Amino acid sequence: MILPYRLLKAALGSLWAFRSYAALMMIGLVIGIASLTVIHEIGEGAQKMVGDRMASMGFGANAFYISAGGGKLGVRHGMKRTMTLTPEDAEAIGRLDGVDQVVPHKNVARTQISAGGRHTNTRVRGTPPGWAAARNWTVQQGRFVNLRDLVTFNRVAVLGTTVARELFGGAIPVGKRVRIGRTPFTVVGVMDSKGSFGHRDRDDFVIVPFTTATKRLARDDKLNGMRVMLVSSDRVGEIKAEVTDVLRERHNLAPGVPEDFLIITPDELMQFITRQSRSLVAMLTFISAVSLFVSGVVIMNIMLVAVSERSYEIGVRRAVGARRRDIMYQVLMESLIVAAAGGLCGLGLGVLLSYLATILLNIPTAFSPMGFAWALGFSAGVGLLFGLAPARKAALLHPVEALR
Amino acid sequence: MIRLKQITKTYHRGKVDTEVLLGIDLHVKAGEFLGIMGPSGSGKSTLLHILGLLDRPSDGSYLLDGSEVADLNDDELARLRNAKLGFVFQAFHLLPKATALDNVLLPFTYAGRYPKDAVAKAEKALERVGLGHRLTHRPGEMSGGECQRVAVARALVNDPEVIFADEPTGNLDQRSSLEVMALLQGLNQEGRTIVLVTHDSSVGCMCGRMLRLIYGKVASDEPVENPVRAQEQIGLEAGGAD
Ligand SMILES: Nc1ncnc2c1ncn2[C@@H]1O[C@H](COP(=O)(O)OP(=O)(O)OP(=O)(O)O)[C@@H](O)[C@H]1O
Ligand SMILES: [Mg+2]
Repeated sequence: MILPYRLLKAALGSLWAFRSYAALMMIGLVIGIASLTVIHEIGEGAQKMVGDRMASMGFGANAFYISAGGGKLGVRHGMKRTMTLTPEDAEAIGRLDGVDQVVPHKNVARTQISAGGRHTNTRVRGTPPGWAAARNWTVQQGRFVNLRDLVTFNRVAVLGTTVARELFGGAIPVGKRVRIGRTPFTVVGVMDSKGSFGHRDRDDFVIVPFTTATKRLARDDKLNGMRVMLVSSDRVGEIKAEVTDVLRERHNLAPGVPEDFLIITPDELMQFITRQSRSLVAMLTFISAVSLFVSGVVIMNIMLVAVSERSYEIGVRRAVGARRRDIMYQVLMESLIVAAAGGLCGLGLGVLLSYLATILLNIPTAFSPMGFAWALGFSAGVGLLFGLAPARKAALLHPVEALR
Repeated sequence: MIRLKQITKTYHRGKVDTEVLLGIDLHVKAGEFLGIMGPSGSGKSTLLHILGLLDRPSDGSYLLDGSEVADLNDDELARLRNAKLGFVFQAFHLLPKATALDNVLLPFTYAGRYPKDAVAKAEKALERVGLGHRLTHRPGEMSGGECQRVAVARALVNDPEVIFADEPTGNLDQRSSLEVMALLQGLNQEGRTIVLVTHDSSVGCMCGRMLRLIYGKVASDEPVENPVRAQEQIGLEAGGAD
């Protein structure tokens, strides 16, 4: 075995002499690895974003959420929901053993909100005072809805930062009057910004007291959902079953009739998300594996051609004492170097593209250690695997034939 | 040093067999300067490749330094080429993208142990062939004569016992041919064995012994009377030009 450093030098020297081939061989790999990296960075970004979102929804381990309407997690999107959850249901659940607090909310259809000459459309949501704390949302200015607002159906509003900006520009909104639809309200607070979630602006909302929403704005008292906070996280499954029984009974559902509500526990949500992203990642990994295989075949064929064109060089090396295996190691080393270089370029390109996707297209991405490992592993593997045939061909060349 | 007994070589190409060497007997003693001449296609290069362990005979026995070549595997042949033999070819056979120095260093790459003073040795070899000032030139940046002298430097850098040269002057002008021959004669005077194939009888008469091949057989094998000294010829030429 010749010294690794000499081998490296020989390989680099030959590659330099055949650099146009080397560049050609790298292109496919650069593209394959770049897309692999982008895939992983987008996957990582999505996962992170979902995690953030769950945290901002107050999805601790000791809470679950009851959504109006039946069906299954993930397949209800866009379906019209039956609205049968009531404030009385919420109270009944609140009385169960182990339940700490129930925080219902009532969404009002997107409504026009105006102040002075300016107006905008936004989501209006009725909540009890505990809602902000349950979601870990904080107030930037003024105050949140309080108990007194709730019992008096008070016409007060807490604005998201987007609404505050659109109605008041730089001016302080607290204390100002706004109209939601045709009903006048007083602004009592502005929430802290939550940023956007994909294309969804999470600061585009107005919060009013829950009772104000049901009695003055929506004019019905059906809930969109409620968050159920438990005393501890040990009995989530048990209490979920109890809640199901209570709601089925209160809604007069005969056995066998599907539920008109959906209980979502943090575990289920997390499982759902990971199941979804797992199949996505599997599919994308398959696609990039195919592209890497193709680039491997390209590398192999170019190397095979290069070996014939370089048979002269190989003959010279054999004449001065290179053994077959020295030639084989050298060619393998070359394909490994090309692949590793292509992999690193692809990785760099992938990181750059992910960054551009984030700042230009607003697609969340994050550095993915897994993606990094895959990129390096894959390119090295491609280099070795597809370098084998050219290396063998080079090693089997007869020195005299090679020198001809 | 070299002892051949009934060496034959037959190329098989498809169904056609080409018999190139038809039983060569040859004994070359250490320190000899053997020239091989003969018409084109007579098997000179084939014989040289077999002698230089670049190819194997179809039959017969080849003892190199007492060991039977047929008993050695390919790796051992490579090892011997690297340690004991040097080559100079008509077409130089340098690595085109490597500098003169790197070309001369090439044998050390495969020497098992890379000597610490490899670069110094290579520079010395290049100085010896009069190219101490061309270390970083690439073959494309040098004349044919200079290229062949780099090849000679590469052949001698490993301190070989035998140097094989296949028409080393075939691509060179008179002056460069003389320079290369002067170098080979110098190496021979140090005690190295030289085996040289040539078409040029003026080169042939610089050898110590001449083997003539015709149709794969030895036609004659006799010493050369008063070999011409290449160095003196260079002196004469220089004198004549003045
Ligand atoms: N690989 C091969 N396959 C078949 N025939 C071959 C092969 N190599 C050489 N020959 C034949 O062997 C014969 C001798 O070739 P060789 O190269 O030894 O001749 P040479 O004496 O060196 O000739 P020249 O003076 O032209 O270099 C030629 O007829 C050639 O065609
Ligand atoms: Mg020949």
